[in-house]
Amino acid sequence: MDFQTLILKLSEYWASRGCLIEQPYDTEVGAGTMHPATFLRVLGPEPWRCAYVQPSRRPADGRYGENPFRLVKHYQFQVVIKPSPDDIQDLYVDSLRAIGIEPADHDLRFEEDNWESPTLGAWGVGWQVLLDGMEITQFTYFQQAGGIDLAPCTAEITYGLERLTMFLTRTRNVMDIEWAPGVKYGEVRRQDEYEVSKYGFETADTDLLRLLFEKFEAESRRCLEAGLVVPAYETALKCSHTFNLLDARGAVSATERVGVIKRVRDLAVGCAKAWVASREALGHPLLPRELPASEAPMPEAEEA
Amino acid sequence: MSEFLLEILAEEIPAGVLSQARSDLLRGLADALAAERIEGTFFAHSTSRRLVLFSRDLPEVQEDHEVESVGPSVRVAFDADGRPTRAAEGFARGQGVAVEALRVVATPKGEYVSVRKIVEGRFTSEILAEVIPTVVSRMSFPRMMRWGDGRNTWIRPVHSVICLLDGLVVPFSLFGVESGRTTFGHRTLAPGRIVVVGVDDYVARLRASFVEPDAGVRRRTLAEKAEALAAEVGCSAVEDSDLLDTLAHLVEWPGLVRGSFEAAYLDLPEEILVTAMREHQKVLPTRDATGALAAHFFAVADHTGDPKGHIARGNEWVLNARFADARFFWDDDGKLPLEERVPRLARLSFQEKLGDTLRKVERVEALADRLARDLGLADAAPRVARAARLARADLVTDMVREFPDLQGIVGGLYARRDGESESVWQAIYDHYLPAGADDSLPRADVGRVVALADRLDTLAGFFALGLVPTGSRDPYALRRAALAVVRILLEGNLRLDLPAAIRAARGLHDVAGATPEETAASLHPFLLERVRFVLERRGFRHDEIESVLTTDCPDVTDAVERVAAVAAVRKLPDFAPLAIAFKRVQNILTQAGVTTAGELDPALMSDDSERQLAGDFFQARGILDELVGARRYEEALSVMASLGPCLDRFFTDVMVLVDDEAVRRNRLSLLAAMRDQFFRVARLSEIQA
Repeated sequence: MDFQTLILKLSEYWASRGCLIEQPYDTEVGAGTMHPATFLRVLGPEPWRCAYVQPSRRPADGRYGENPFRLVKHYQFQVVIKPSPDDIQDLYVDSLRAIGIEPADHDLRFEEDNWESPTLGAWGVGWQVLLDGMEITQFTYFQQAGGIDLAPCTAEITYGLERLTMFLTRTRNVMDIEWAPGVKYGEVRRQDEYEVSKYGFETADTDLLRLLFEKFEAESRRCLEAGLVVPAYETALKCSHTFNLLDARGAVSATERVGVIKRVRDLAVGCAKAWVASREALGHPLLPRELPASEAPMPEAEEA
Repeated sequence: MSEFLLEILAEEIPAGVLSQARSDLLRGLADALAAERIEGTFFAHSTSRRLVLFSRDLPEVQEDHEVESVGPSVRVAFDADGRPTRAAEGFARGQGVAVEALRVVATPKGEYVSVRKIVEGRFTSEILAEVIPTVVSRMSFPRMMRWGDGRNTWIRPVHSVICLLDGLVVPFSLFGVESGRTTFGHRTLAPGRIVVVGVDDYVARLRASFVEPDAGVRRRTLAEKAEALAAEVGCSAVEDSDLLDTLAHLVEWPGLVRGSFEAAYLDLPEEILVTAMREHQKVLPTRDATGALAAHFFAVADHTGDPKGHIARGNEWVLNARFADARFFWDDDGKLPLEERVPRLARLSFQEKLGDTLRKVERVEALADRLARDLGLADAAPRVARAARLARADLVTDMVREFPDLQGIVGGLYARRDGESESVWQAIYDHYLPAGADDSLPRADVGRVVALADRLDTLAGFFALGLVPTGSRDPYALRRAALAVVRILLEGNLRLDLPAAIRAARGLHDVAGATPEETAASLHPFLLERVRFVLERRGFRHDEIESVLTTDCPDVTDAVERVAAVAAVRKLPDFAPLAIAFKRVQNILTQAGVTTAGELDPALMSDDSERQLAGDFFQARGILDELVGARRYEEALSVMASLGPCLDRFFTDVMVLVDDEAVRRNRLSLLAAMRDQFFRVARLSEIQA
């Protein structure tokens, strides 16, 4: 199975299970979780079923395109369902069938693996899913986001698309997997990886980045004050990415680090609060109209 | 006798909590039932998705029991003529008895009327239905979670509950799930519904659905399979009890698959290979007949076999990939020697107030150099300082980022490759040792000094900040660090003036806080606590330990030699009288408030016993000085013991606290001089005769 077929099959499968198919967010993020379709939508009482691909950027993981596994930018397939349905694990196992894995032929295990993001003030409990000893998915029940305790709770499923393709095709180097028939991943992305690694480690202008961080932070606060939640969140994401660049460049000292992370978290917490208030003001449009929030049923999944 | 069965089927429960959860559930239910006067023998099982409890000897009904209800006081219940009042009648009616059945009981508040009634025992099933939801929902786990609507909190979402008593459902609701007689088989091999009528039926049906409920059976099976599969390829599985425990908790069916990685990776350091296998992949490594690491491994699989070979091939792919990763790090990290990595440690935090790791390294380097000289290892000082400088540089390598457990070890291996001398790379390799009470020490002095300096720097810094462990709270593992200091000194036979070393370590921290003297005053006793712990483990008696640790003990190695001498000498016949006599000496001196010995005047000695004691003591003093100076404590104590009879006679014949002040002071001075001389070894007065 090639890279794009994997994406298509997962999208098709989760769409058939009642998920809205979102698109990648157009601001740099470190993980699919930071897409507003996860970070903001997990807040509050409104039900939400959504899936999307998210390119995720981690400048410190750059290896100039030379490492068989590590990339600055990799692609995640993200599924979020709120409230988490009773059959979420079954839904997940069926998604493996949809990409050609018959679970009875394999060893499939859910091993404890909890998740925490200090910059988002978020954490969750869950597993890494191991298929024949390979971690193919991260499975998380969100407990807190932006410092807010969550109820109802969201189940988040994250597939690492490159790794999964490598594993299914027994390919040793990420650059060698097929993106589309006849086109390899490396042919599409190797030069990018070289350039973003070189930029992140050697070229990035740290003075400019520091300045940007300050400006984005101030802008995020200004947006919050103006009641503009999404722009506030987008500029907070810019701060986060700018911090990651500075960090990769080795420009953040140990003592400074804690403080900077806290500044980003403060923004995330502010955005989360503002989002909750804004949805409430809108009357929680995604709640079924006739029922009060506390009794809202899960939207039924369509049978495939 | 009734048969009871409870199964809670949940989403995968973390392997690390299963044992505890099993026993908590058993204990919790047994206690709750005991409080209801229902006793039984319980057994517990668990798998990665289930907690199971059963019993075959529960009573069907609770025993009948008598209850007493106390009503109004006698004064209120009877009128002046002793006839029951309306209050008494009302109480009797309320209790459903005739007013004649009321009896009078004496209470601390006076006499009251009361009724005794036999309450019939309720059905066990009824009580189980009340008790189980409470017991289960109150179980506590290190990290709990909410799910779905977020109303419930437990370790993982619960999917079904079986609860049967003699084959009948005990009805209750747990986290919104109704109890029944239905469960499900293995997630992928037999996911269907299973309906059960009792314990044996349950176990049989589970096994037929590829679920082995007994973790002990799963563990044994895994061990047997490992042995058999290893024999097929002429290897043996590396024994690893902890890993087997974990593996048994990770599955419902104990499958084991043999795989092999590419033999070319065997030239990577064994430490890295084994860590990748054990810690990262949770697979069992193997060794060949010569004891060398072999390219075979065993992976647990929640499966009856490996029908299409996917499981072995998958695990092989992952392990080869990990090793390829490790090989990449090994080669790539090599491009930058450790030396050049040191400045990058400025990016790693050590402790908020104590600065970054580079500053820690610089302090440890200076301290290690000084300690080497203090310890009489001046020749080694340059190597000690070098090792200290490079010791933490592996924290900024990709290998340690990937294998954090290998910190130190990776540094040592890299230092060897960088061409550092053997004593330097070994010191780096070993400097996190000992990690606990039974862990080994760094193999040589250079590593020991670096390890000492590293721990003393940490301890002095935290103590200066007042971040001292209290009770069971020791978030920075300072007790472990202190134990390491003590063990290295004692087992390495190193002699160090600890208060001086602490002051030096404190002096290297430029943080505001306790002064060097204050730091030594709080940290030195903390270290002596660890000495006490070590000595107790070695089997020394409490009074032997206290007799020495209540003296000045700057050098703990010396202190332990003195304890050993006390333990050896106390068996001598003269020693017990000496100890008893010294309790008197100590009492008299305390009573008289004498802290230091004055000048002795032989002319004031009027009694033979007094002159004799003084004479013997003066004679012994020179010898004692010599023996103590040479740390020949056992002999010194024997010499002291030989003065015991003489001291006894002195107390029999001579009155110390006489009216003549000059004589009194002279006698007290003699005793004080003896005490000061003798207590250089041990406070003899502490020894129980």
